[in-house]
Amino acid sequence: MSKVHGNHGNCKETGLCPIVTFPEVVNIDEIRDEIPEVKTFYLSFPNKDVEREFRIKSGQFIMCTVFGAGEFAVSLPPSPENDRFHISVRAVGKVTHALHALKPGDKLGVRGPFGNGFPFDEIKGKNIIYVAGGIGLIPLRSSIVHALQHREDFGRIILLYGARSSKDLMYQPDIREWQQNAGFETFITIDRPEEGWSGEVGYVNQLIEKANVPVDNSVAFVCGPPVMFNSVIGEFLKRGMSEDAIISTLERQMKCGIGKCQHCAVGRTLVCTDGPVYTYRQIKTLGEQI
Amino acid sequence: MSMSMYILSSGEISALVTELQASYDVYGPQVEPQTKQVFFDQLATPAALDLEAPIPSMPVKEILFPQMERILKYKYDAENQSVAMSKQYFERPKALFGLRPCDLSGILVLDRFFLGQEFVDDVYLTHRRQCLLISNTCLHPFPQCFCVCTHSGPDADEGFDLDLTKLQDGYLLRVGSEKGQAIADAHQWQVATPRHAKEFKAVVDRSIDLFPEMATDNKAWVAKVMNRITTGFVKQETWEYIGDQCFECGACSFVCPTCSCFNIEDTQTACGECERLRMRDSCSFEGYARMAGDHNPRQPVEDRRNKRFFCKLSYPQSKKYLRPGCVGCGRCQWVCPGDIGLPNVVQYIRREITGGQN
Repeated sequence: MSKVHGNHGNCKETGLCPIVTFPEVVNIDEIRDEIPEVKTFYLSFPNKDVEREFRIKSGQFIMCTVFGAGEFAVSLPPSPENDRFHISVRAVGKVTHALHALKPGDKLGVRGPFGNGFPFDEIKGKNIIYVAGGIGLIPLRSSIVHALQHREDFGRIILLYGARSSKDLMYQPDIREWQQNAGFETFITIDRPEEGWSGEVGYVNQLIEKANVPVDNSVAFVCGPPVMFNSVIGEFLKRGMSEDAIISTLERQMKCGIGKCQHCAVGRTLVCTDGPVYTYRQIKTLGEQI
Repeated sequence: MSMSMYILSSGEISALVTELQASYDVYGPQVEPQTKQVFFDQLATPAALDLEAPIPSMPVKEILFPQMERILKYKYDAENQSVAMSKQYFERPKALFGLRPCDLSGILVLDRFFLGQEFVDDVYLTHRRQCLLISNTCLHPFPQCFCVCTHSGPDADEGFDLDLTKLQDGYLLRVGSEKGQAIADAHQWQVATPRHAKEFKAVVDRSIDLFPEMATDNKAWVAKVMNRITTGFVKQETWEYIGDQCFECGACSFVCPTCSCFNIEDTQTACGECERLRMRDSCSFEGYARMAGDHNPRQPVEDRRNKRFFCKLSYPQSKKYLRPGCVGCGRCQWVCPGDIGLPNVVQYIRREITGGQN
């Protein structure tokens, strides 16, 4: 692990430096099929010193090396507290396809965690509305679990979740487990009617009405494809939600994760160090497609 | 620290090169005999050093931030599910002898970007850690030079360990750091007199006077254009006009002393063996921001072009660099197959501001 580090958030808050330059080897303990094309990989560090120092915040990401194929940026779904270290990845490009071909016992490389992460302390006492589309639930999972671990700190906690079909709903066992919590409200929809589906049909933005979401003293975490994002934001703004209270996480091609390679530049910011979490007010000023 | 100054003969310069070669890899400007091209390369002998050579074709960043470099090597054994990694970059101390002030400014920009932000770039730091910088005043501008507009020449005013200027009696050597002073203290060089200091000033003033109109004309406009780019007042048509001329070749980025974008790729070298390469990249390439799954948030060429000029000429960026991102070397103007080297872009924006009057 590289001990050369700078003035970054992780160091200031925890005194712990992320893995900056050289990947640290992790073991794949278990692989689960989630939905078509998406698998979850449960990981552990053979080096226990590194494992102890590897602390994450909800909303951060890591750079993951598939040996022989390359490195990709991936969000972290586990809660910062008492959760198994894992990543959930859709096979999209060269490296993620190579990842999907691996089996338990194979090794990966990890650098990070990087990025600013979702605010946690600042939103205490508020209602939280999670809005996710498809695999957009992956980056939100960490924050959902973390908020439920501190249930008494928040008002209403609502999950609005939509996917193309019932087969495309991520983390179904997790959702069932979260529903055991008192006061965790879930509204789930799929795009088109399906045999055997008795839940909602339609797009996620329609759930906002259905859930009668509170606008005052609330924050919304929104993550999903750009088309969903725009309609959901529109709906929230119409209801008078503040632009600062709508929070999302952006994706970009990344090579370094530490603000040097510049591939993730968006507007005047870099997604890796200034993001990936932005408020809608910030996103508006970026002046670029999201 | 008050700046010590000495006068060195050509013989003493050569002796200094030889002496530095004992503890450094010494790089300097050399003229390739057949093509007359200037390269800033490792010196085999002190005689190869040509301090009067024009600015090198490629910026000196090549030595600290190579076009391509291996940063990691690993072996993985699929059968035994194991992997062994080894860090690959280790660099000998380097002395860069006879840097033109624009290239020196370029290094300072890279320093502030790679070492001064939230994270320290370990790879760049390894190159830079034991570096000695010796700059060389330009007695006259070379074609396309416009460093007087970007405050990075014709003489160096910060960041060097030692600085040379050719005067009548020999080379004036100015000391710019404690490291440089330690070198000077180990020699019996002749101390410069106030007459030499006066001559130095005259030589620099004469050099400034020799800059072509293009440079002096643009002087105030670089600042004005920075303001326009920062505030977003440049019209979309102007960016499109600039974008239309872009061949997306990336040459401007590769010759720019301050362009620092890079790509990282793992390539197989043998069965089960891989190396991680870090290579320069250019924001002008269409695939620059393209993600897996082919979503490309930065498709139109003019979007990519205005990002480049935003990087070179805007306040948010100059806050990172502590100066404009352009050092006025003019190399982008030499190599651009369109007509959108940075000075021309300044002209186009200036034309927009003045309504075509200038």
